[in-house]
Amino acid sequence: MGRYLLRRLLVAIPTLLLITTLGFALLHAAPGGPFDSDKRMLPAIQRAIEARYHLHEPLWRQYVRYLGDLAHGDFGPSFQYRGTSVNQIIAQGLPVDATVGLSALALALLLGGSIGVSAALRENSAWDFGSMAIAAVGIALPLFVVAPLLVLIFAVTLHWLPAGDWVAGSPSHLVLPAIALALPYAGYIARLMRGSTLEVLNSSFIRTAHAKGLPATRILWRHALRPALTPLVSYLGPAFAGVLTGSIVVETVFGLPGIGRFFITAAQNRDYTLVMGITVLYGALIILCNLLADLCYAWIDPRVRLS
Amino acid sequence: MNVPARPAALAAALSLGWLTGCSGAHASAQTATPGNLSLGSAPAREQVLARTLDDEPHSLDPLLAVDVPAQRVLDDLYEGLTTVDAYGRTVPGVASSWQQSADGLTWTFHLRPEARWSNGAPVTAQDFVFSWRRVVDPHTGAQAAQSLAPIKNAQQIAAGEADPRTLGVEALDAHTLRVHLVGPTPFLLDLVSQEYLYPEYAPVVLRYGDAWTTPAHLVGNGAFRLVERVIDNRIVLERNPRYWDAAHVRLQRVVYYVLPDRSTQVQRFLAGDVQWTDSFAANEYAYLKARLGSQVVSSPYLGIYKVDFNFDLPPFRDNWPLREALVLAIDRAPLVHAMRPFYEPAYTLMPPLPGYAVPVPAWTHLSTAARHALARELYHRAGYSDADPLRVDLDTSVQGADERHFYEAVAASWRAVLGADVHVDEREFKVLIQERELHKLALMHGAWIGDYPDPYTFLQTFYRGNSNNNGDYSNAAFDALIDQAGQEHDPARRYQLFEQAEAMLDADAAYVPLYYYATRHLVKPFLRGWHSNIMDRNLSRYMVVLEHQGS
Repeated sequence: MGRYLLRRLLVAIPTLLLITTLGFALLHAAPGGPFDSDKRMLPAIQRAIEARYHLHEPLWRQYVRYLGDLAHGDFGPSFQYRGTSVNQIIAQGLPVDATVGLSALALALLLGGSIGVSAALRENSAWDFGSMAIAAVGIALPLFVVAPLLVLIFAVTLHWLPAGDWVAGSPSHLVLPAIALALPYAGYIARLMRGSTLEVLNSSFIRTAHAKGLPATRILWRHALRPALTPLVSYLGPAFAGVLTGSIVVETVFGLPGIGRFFITAAQNRDYTLVMGITVLYGALIILCNLLADLCYAWIDPRVRLS
Repeated sequence: MNVPARPAALAAALSLGWLTGCSGAHASAQTATPGNLSLGSAPAREQVLARTLDDEPHSLDPLLAVDVPAQRVLDDLYEGLTTVDAYGRTVPGVASSWQQSADGLTWTFHLRPEARWSNGAPVTAQDFVFSWRRVVDPHTGAQAAQSLAPIKNAQQIAAGEADPRTLGVEALDAHTLRVHLVGPTPFLLDLVSQEYLYPEYAPVVLRYGDAWTTPAHLVGNGAFRLVERVIDNRIVLERNPRYWDAAHVRLQRVVYYVLPDRSTQVQRFLAGDVQWTDSFAANEYAYLKARLGSQVVSSPYLGIYKVDFNFDLPPFRDNWPLREALVLAIDRAPLVHAMRPFYEPAYTLMPPLPGYAVPVPAWTHLSTAARHALARELYHRAGYSDADPLRVDLDTSVQGADERHFYEAVAASWRAVLGADVHVDEREFKVLIQERELHKLALMHGAWIGDYPDPYTFLQTFYRGNSNNNGDYSNAAFDALIDQAGQEHDPARRYQLFEQAEAMLDADAAYVPLYYYATRHLVKPFLRGWHSNIMDRNLSRYMVVLEHQGS
């Protein structure tokens, strides 16, 4: 187990290096630079700014410099927001995204899991068809429709909840973003859980349990649910990394100070360091979450050996 | 001032006007005047204002700010030698009085001794000398450096050819500042109200480097002080009790919410969270007007939306008939009124300015049919026909569906009237900028917002070699007029020279004017103490929240 972990973590290093290299190359290959603006700069000023951020150096040297800083955990200064480091931006935004994302995922698991399992237990009933149809709608409706609709209903019309903004520790500010983000995940989880539960319920060991005369609830809780979770775990690994780094739509609609928006705005602004920072962070989180998912497999299914 | 780059793809992806628009269909009838709001006449006990910003300010260092959102916040945090009143007119700021020499080349400003920094230190003439030298110093990397061109040696310093200490500004004593100019500069008082000429408190700038603009370190001299900043979310200000005119500042707290998506701004306004929005989406205008009535505020703004030609490349180089044909073929009034109901169609470069007689091109008096016929004739004279039409890309930046539709309508006019095949090509903002700089584009989006209410700020963008001369326009006679105006002492005569220069650009079909910008805000009726103005500067220091119930 210890050796397995160590090996997986060591493999992560070249993967991250590859992500960094590709990201760096693509970013610098894109036309336009971070300091190009509508109002053109005088050459002397342009040179001074480039020198300040080492942009005048050959690309390979900039790359080596970046890797050196990265090894020390320093993502560098943001080009777009002068006086602010990428570390500061991430430290400020990640907790917000994590709070919203984890609440949404918890909600989605609760909602999607229970709907999925109950639909599987009543296969081909009206409840099954009805709940799966709603789940399909939940997946299909884009967030940028659902989120403003929620604001329109619960904030603008009913005045029950704030229309946006973020106040750390305030549950009322968390409700709408978490629900909006949870809905598509809940729909997906419901369908996933329904499928896998049905598959397990039809397998021979469950039939044996029935034949032995075990009560249905005990069969479900003791024997069926655990193996039915396996496909969910492989889905949750990347989903976890996804919600941790924020949703651009939810952040924009609710005005949350997360980092998800920067995946687009920083790239448009050619804020090299900020793009690199969140790319590397996202990559690292994906690797970590996939590792956790693999560990979960071993826990759920004793046949899986970590070696 | 440049037009700030907005996270455009984001706005495009989230163009949700139709959503809020649907709700308006049934909501508009009962809420034409907000039914749940009752208004008192006395100031409310709680003086808190929530405003929105279209984008995160790039910096709270006034010398580095190049964007409109930053200007809004900085106007509350600092004050220049002059400032603007609630009507946007230039009035005394830190300087209470001033004189200029007979030749207009030397100005002496007398600073009010009661002016204080937010830490209690007096604001002195040396503080201005420090920040002005800093802004022109190329090592600061301030884009605004070129705006100081009227000040002696500023251009040489910004080009790296002279020492910042040679800048034409000196502190005669703690409260007297003398400024030496290159030529007569009638707009100097407007210029010194700009954020890049604000004073800075040297001890914090020198001690903390870039980090001096954080709430922990920032020292300002404005009506408010910075208490919190969350990047891409909010900026919180509180009344600065040490401000020299603090007795007249009524708001206790101002919160700026950064909301790049305009539909989100509208929703926050409708939910009652904010009392002032920086803007709203153009396609929501009709719905908002129907629902909110007088809370929708729009007024002329010192900016023009136009299309620039590339004078280095065919087909527009040395091709006046073709350029003029494109200028004439657009039916501006119906186009602008249909797609931009709050904007005014533009027929020439300068937005209306008191005292300045904007030259109106003669073709504006033609009937539509005659104008179209003339356009077609010029188009044919340039060698194009239905069999061999003009094929060219109109390059714009990705600004969302709104902008794209407008440009497509412009291209459609050219197609309908001339038969020209103009293809609207959207590029990422940074890509457009770079290609424009490399003079690769033939026909391109060009917008300009004046730094101060003076024709020079617009006309300079057609001066040969000016870094904002997008199309590389070059006309010795035009340049001579601008130079002549630069040395002219008589303001009326100076304006006449500018009028001539502008008429010359129009006669030369140097650009395609489309429309003048307008400010657009949503403002709650209980927020008072502000007035629409052409610079769109609305300082929180004059505002007051009246007693009210409901939102």
